[in-house]
Amino acid sequence: MALEERKYAAYLCKGCGIGAALNFESLAKTTRKEGKIPEVKEHDILCSPDGLEMIKNDLAEGVNCVLIGACSPRVKYEEFDFPGVLVERVNLRELVAWTQEPNEEPTQMLAEDYLRMGAAKLKKADLPEPWQTEEISKTILVIGGGAAGLSAALTAARQGYPVVLVEKEAQLGGYGAKIYKSTPTSYPYSSLVDSPVHALVKEVLAEPKIRVMTGTELISSAGQPGLLDVTVSRNGEEETFRAGAIVLAAGWRPYDASKLDRLGYGLSPDVVTNVELEEMARKGQITRPSDGRAPQSVVFIQCAGSRDPEHLPYCSDFCCATSLKQALYVRQQNPEAVAMILYKDMRVPGVAELFYKEAQSDPGVMLTKAEVTGVEPKGGKLLVKATDSLLGQNVAFEADLVVLATGMVPATADNPVLNLDYRQGPGLPDLDLFNGFADSNFICFQYETRRTAIYAAGAVRQAMRLPAAIEDGAGAAMKAIQALQHIEAGMAVHPRAWDLTFPDPFMQRCTQCKRCTEECPFGAIEEDEKGTPYYKINRCRRCATCMGACPERIVNFKDYSVDIIGSMIKAIEVQEIEDEEDPKAPFMIVGLVCENDAYPALDALAQHRLKLPPNIRFIPLRCMGSFNLVWVSDALSRGVDGMVLLGCKYGDDYQCHFAKGSELCAYRLTKLSETLDKLGLEADRVQQFQIAISEFDRLPSLLQEFVDRVREIGPNPFKEF
Amino acid sequence: MADEILIKPDLKFVQRIMAAGGQDAKKCYQCDTCCVVCNLTPENHPFPRKEMLQAQWGIRDVITSPDIWLCHQCSDCTVHCPRGAKPGEVLGVLRQMCIENYAIPPQLARMVGDIRFLPLLVAFPVLLLLAALKITGRLAIPEGPIVFSKMFPWWMVDIIYMAAAGFAVFVLAQGVIRYWRDINTSPWAVKLQGGVLANLIPVLQDILLHNRFKKCETTYARSLNHLLVVFGFITLGLVTAWAFVREWVFHWPGPYPFFSPFKMLALLGTALLIYGIYQIIVARQANADKAGFGTYFDWQLIYIVAAVGITGAASWLFRLTGIASLAYPVYFLHLTSVFILFFFAPYTKLAHLVYRTVAMLYARMSGRGF
Repeated sequence: MALEERKYAAYLCKGCGIGAALNFESLAKTTRKEGKIPEVKEHDILCSPDGLEMIKNDLAEGVNCVLIGACSPRVKYEEFDFPGVLVERVNLRELVAWTQEPNEEPTQMLAEDYLRMGAAKLKKADLPEPWQTEEISKTILVIGGGAAGLSAALTAARQGYPVVLVEKEAQLGGYGAKIYKSTPTSYPYSSLVDSPVHALVKEVLAEPKIRVMTGTELISSAGQPGLLDVTVSRNGEEETFRAGAIVLAAGWRPYDASKLDRLGYGLSPDVVTNVELEEMARKGQITRPSDGRAPQSVVFIQCAGSRDPEHLPYCSDFCCATSLKQALYVRQQNPEAVAMILYKDMRVPGVAELFYKEAQSDPGVMLTKAEVTGVEPKGGKLLVKATDSLLGQNVAFEADLVVLATGMVPATADNPVLNLDYRQGPGLPDLDLFNGFADSNFICFQYETRRTAIYAAGAVRQAMRLPAAIEDGAGAAMKAIQALQHIEAGMAVHPRAWDLTFPDPFMQRCTQCKRCTEECPFGAIEEDEKGTPYYKINRCRRCATCMGACPERIVNFKDYSVDIIGSMIKAIEVQEIEDEEDPKAPFMIVGLVCENDAYPALDALAQHRLKLPPNIRFIPLRCMGSFNLVWVSDALSRGVDGMVLLGCKYGDDYQCHFAKGSELCAYRLTKLSETLDKLGLEADRVQQFQIAISEFDRLPSLLQEFVDRVREIGPNPFKEF
Repeated sequence: MADEILIKPDLKFVQRIMAAGGQDAKKCYQCDTCCVVCNLTPENHPFPRKEMLQAQWGIRDVITSPDIWLCHQCSDCTVHCPRGAKPGEVLGVLRQMCIENYAIPPQLARMVGDIRFLPLLVAFPVLLLLAALKITGRLAIPEGPIVFSKMFPWWMVDIIYMAAAGFAVFVLAQGVIRYWRDINTSPWAVKLQGGVLANLIPVLQDILLHNRFKKCETTYARSLNHLLVVFGFITLGLVTAWAFVREWVFHWPGPYPFFSPFKMLALLGTALLIYGIYQIIVARQANADKAGFGTYFDWQLIYIVAAVGITGAASWLFRLTGIASLAYPVYFLHLTSVFILFFFAPYTKLAHLVYRTVAMLYARMSGRGF
């Protein structure tokens, strides 16, 4: 619903200290004359019922493009949301009144530039129209019938969504159904209980909305969210059905103990893994495989192949609680037996600590920190040697049976599992960052993956115990439901979950360079048989990385495009520098900032009333991945002296909401310095910094140093042209 | 590895510790808070964390460790233990095990430390004293002015109690000699500095002033209360020694006149003893929630001492007031409790007198904490 006849009005708020810091007469004049907005009104508190009434009266008169000069767009968004009206917020409070010296010339110039930039954007932007998709499937495919998968299936079904639960083994339940007893699942967390998975299996089998497919393998999943064509194979028979979203709960397998001969595995039959011991317990008796006798002393070696760079570098979370549980098996079977647990650190997270305390209180459960150096057979028994133990520097323990507490290897470690038909590959990308776990960004978004509408849950996502996996399944199912709802409404899914815009490329100018298809963090762009890229919009998260990647600058969103940002830059009034030694010389700097981390940091800095240099004009970007190099020439050719980019942290522990944006931006900048050198401009004029959302206190000095550096380089020589 | 230690967990030993009052020992997760809050522990190889681990694993060596005696059971560790493992109580139990280990026969020590044998413990002196009275034909309340020697003549008291004390000294002496030998071999053996006597004097000085005991925080008052009891005993010991000399050397029989200096001293000693032990009882009960209530072994000695003091004072009062029917039986009870105190000294907590002194001597000579 594009706006046919545009009627503009601007509203300036004097509240929260804005009125006391700025000359409103001059602001209104600039907005009218340079911003070309005929109607400019002021109000003492614009967000008050009275102020909003004033705006709504004008809207009733036909105004449909509104410039709000007030607080940050990150606050009061409900007050200033008018359906069917294009609204542009100009942040006069946080970026001007709260962070600049009041009633100074540079402060006034800054505010007026922000109004010019806002007006420029308002002129170019348009109202979004939701993406029209064909009718989507609301079926949720759950891959894996273990604790997490069962819980996901139940949660989704009970919310009214049809579920197909695919399990490759003949029975549901996964590892949770193969254990003898579970660590306690409810208060007081002191005694062993039956596995909670058995009850879940019963509930799933009784739920009419869940179609259970055991003995079934996933062959492929094609298409895009809402419209996935899933092919499975059951007893050699293939079947294809449509699904909307996927919960990936493919689980784990134990670490291959044959790599642990250092710990005696394979050397003696009496060295077993925790999984093998569980199997013995379930069958009824724990015995020494060598002679079938019940053991009098059992040594548990924790972190067997875990937290070890040569094996699994991570902690598998469940092994400590499991060994405590199995120590109790040993004790309950034979009250004369002792169970010794040798650990690196006992890690029994959450309420399981209560179980740790309880299990430890058994007189025959003995624990010590120790670095096990080896296990060797000795006269029918086993000798476990260790150093750095609490009991002494070099110690040895005699045992009838040694149990290696081996860790979890996620199903996705070496198998794509999902078998997607993405140009970027059949599995989830870059899982090596997470040691093969189907994790995406562990800081912010649980369950998210870099494949839209596919959510990971349980031990395939992160090493965890049964209770956590059950919770995980429910969480991931909720996310899958949310994704389906958004896709149906033509809206983006997390993290831009409100966004109705979508990329709308001007394909005639596409050169098939494929940078967009390579760089899209979500694999939303495919190629047709001629090699021309096309979008599968339901996969798209609207980060606009494609817009930054495109050398032809053909990717546009209704309210975000290369042209819109360029126009904002061009709207800045660049002033002549008469005396560059003058500390107040109007050096002009454009700041392009990540709206997810750096921009909130600027707001936070303002709330703490820290000061910002008056030379910088900040423009928020959806993601630094949408940074297009042409904006540098837009700015520098207009006489802007420098450009500062504030992105989020990248690298292994990246904080980017879109996985790669900040890193891609930094990569693009490496190409820029060559160009700047050719133009005779100093590369230092354009710099990118990594800022976490919490690092607002770093910003004032960081930005001032950048301004000082630009001042040192001197004015942009293009200013005169 | 030449210095490799083979760890042999002893489940029975763990169960014994737990049964004797260390039931929370297994809760320790080795965070070391106890060593940090302890004001008494040496900087190198501090206690009680390592002792807690040895208790959990049933490593019997721990009972010969001199460190368990450097602890005065201030219970600062118990108060601050995040896990409720009560290290103070556990070390108390380990000391009990140490006493038991060096006593002969150890079975007797085990019986003494077990509440189920309490009737036997009391019955032994009662029967012994009754038998003595019976044999000498004194099993009746004597007529006339109350003079306790009419019932128990001095020679009889001296023979019985010299024998009891002699037995106790012998058992303790052999225990201490074995203990000293054990702590001077692996794993505690170190090169000792200086002579035994030269070191013993400062150690005794420290004990008499309770310098280390005073460093306790939570149960600070205990050091004063304990000091009162100690000086009560010292005073009463002096009086008894004087009485012995008077009896055997000068042949002046008691009772002493009311205003004689020795009577006054005896009264002072009794007052210190009764007041001190009363305060100990009150303070222990008041602190029980945070510092732990203490074991049977602890309370046994407290009540023996209280019984000695109260029966002593009461028999004196009844004598002065001329109530023969109470004075003689109470005096009988007094002798019974004193007998228990003397005879069972190597088996009760009273043995700490020598083991702690020896451990402190060792600690001083090996450069741990003095």
